[in-house]
Amino acid sequence: MELVLLPLIRFAIGALSMGVGRRSRFLAVLAHLCDAALLARIALLLARGTALDATLGGWADRVGIGFSGDLIGLPIAALIWGLAVAVSLHTWKDELRAYFYVLLHFLIGAAYAMVFTEDLFNAYVILELLTLASFLLVGYERKPRQIWASLRYLFLCSVGMSLFLLGIAVVYYHTGTLNLSALAAHVARAPAAPWIPLAAALLVGGVAVKAGIFLFSLWLPAAHARAMPAVSALLSGVVIKMGVVELFRLAGVFPLDLTFTVLGAATGLLGMLYALQTYDMKKLLAFSTLSQIGYLLIGFGAGSQASRLGALDYAVAHGLFKALLFLAVGQAVACVGSPDLRALTLNRRTIPRGTRIAIAVGILGIVGIPPFAGFAAKAVLESGVHSLFVHAMVALISVGTAASFSKLLPLLSVRSAARCRGATVSAYAWLGGGIALFLPLSATLVPRSILSASWHWPAYLEAGLALALGYGIHRILRGRSFRLPQRVFRVEEGTLAVVAGVLIVFSLLRFA
Amino acid sequence: MGAFHGVTIAIVLFGIGVLGLVIRKDLVIKLLALGLTNSATILCLVSLDSRTPGAAPILVPGVEAIVDPLPQAIVLSAIVINFAILALALVFVMLLVERYHTTDSARIERETNAEEETWS
Repeated sequence: MELVLLPLIRFAIGALSMGVGRRSRFLAVLAHLCDAALLARIALLLARGTALDATLGGWADRVGIGFSGDLIGLPIAALIWGLAVAVSLHTWKDELRAYFYVLLHFLIGAAYAMVFTEDLFNAYVILELLTLASFLLVGYERKPRQIWASLRYLFLCSVGMSLFLLGIAVVYYHTGTLNLSALAAHVARAPAAPWIPLAAALLVGGVAVKAGIFLFSLWLPAAHARAMPAVSALLSGVVIKMGVVELFRLAGVFPLDLTFTVLGAATGLLGMLYALQTYDMKKLLAFSTLSQIGYLLIGFGAGSQASRLGALDYAVAHGLFKALLFLAVGQAVACVGSPDLRALTLNRRTIPRGTRIAIAVGILGIVGIPPFAGFAAKAVLESGVHSLFVHAMVALISVGTAASFSKLLPLLSVRSAARCRGATVSAYAWLGGGIALFLPLSATLVPRSILSASWHWPAYLEAGLALALGYGIHRILRGRSFRLPQRVFRVEEGTLAVVAGVLIVFSLLRFA
Repeated sequence: MGAFHGVTIAIVLFGIGVLGLVIRKDLVIKLLALGLTNSATILCLVSLDSRTPGAAPILVPGVEAIVDPLPQAIVLSAIVINFAILALALVFVMLLVERYHTTDSARIERETNAEEETWS
């Protein structure tokens, strides 16, 4: 019941916002309060052990849409709520049209539905709703380059969702159900059935387009870098995570561990290389989103309980610090008028102090300095990884992250007198507080035994080494530029890459 | 066998749609190609998943055996969603045409990238 109310209240308030014009920001506050109450109740019920599963409309299990509240859903739902509050604080004084709030509520409502749904076709509809809402949000300011970025996003996502629908067709033909737990039972009964690789490749490939995975999500850098800061924060923190959540759910049905490791490693490495070569700070954040998603997939593909919890934990942590970085860097870019690092460094005195503190906190989170969000989640993830190769990949991505974010350090070096608005500061404080207090927060998700096992000296040593190495690489690379191909981000190459990616996933599942 | 003819046609149409997205530069034609892939998917779903042979799932006197109605209910939503996507995409293409006076995706790509370069 609570699970269903959560998205429905958002949709209702979104529809109401159309009628109240610029006052809709007050309606947004009401929506946040309702959500907080519902989320608290869901958490309470889950803590008591009450089952929250429901099949909508009283249909039989085979045809009805199943909703289930579980440990994957709740932390991500809490993250969605936190980011919605942050965005609404950050845009409080911006005099945005009601149109923005309508889309915001639809996006958040769809995201809530996504984390709890158990039904493949319901997931398809919600993913399409998310596509449409974020498509319109990217183009909100009507700048031509935003419109082109969001059109490219729409083209690729639509192809991806077609593939997902083909996957649904195959699944339904062979099993007669779209419910994920019923499907898992089917697959467990006949794990070698010849249709499984095909269905899994189509479903995974389709969702991967939305999840920010390299080779599939080549729309991502432009869309995330060109949208306005509040929208980028939502896209990176919420919309991408919805694809990842669906991938996590599919991993409960199909044997996807190897696929996740391969895709995660490719995403992590390529995202990291592109992040290293760019001097456009918003692009840097977008590429680092790719590399961080690689992290999540590697963690989830490692297969142990600790690494999966760690990946989930990291999904929340990444949502917090990437949203903070997008908001703060976006503010800095707006002050200076250019996202180019050299221009930002030259004019760093015009960047308000609050913004620069926020950038610093975001960097502390993302490069994994103890005891902030990045480190806390990464330690849990790594304690569950046993293969040496996977461990090396994770360490390499950490080094790359440290190296690419060292570029932002010069922005923090001088004093400035400029101040930012109270509403903006409160948004920073809200997210920054989440990053600083992440450890006690994650203790509610991760069992104490796993948490204490992850806090040992090799984790600190690794974090320190990654930072030192990353800074060293930054010093070596400084002043040198290397360019990776940019043509791959066009629609044509993107479409081909999606098709090729599905074939790769298929062969991984079929032959490996 | 009817179902599998449908699936074959759907796969061919899907391929043509993807090809259109890849090799044609005109945005309106790209959108048509996108519509084609979406329709091919719907054709595939309907013809593959009508698992029992029978009439369309409309219960009128005289109709006894019907196909599984769930896929048909599903594609209705899918058709509506695809319609919404195409309509919104066309609006955005119109906005781009107002600005650049062209529907050539390669030129729009160049112009928007040039706008980004001028910052640095």
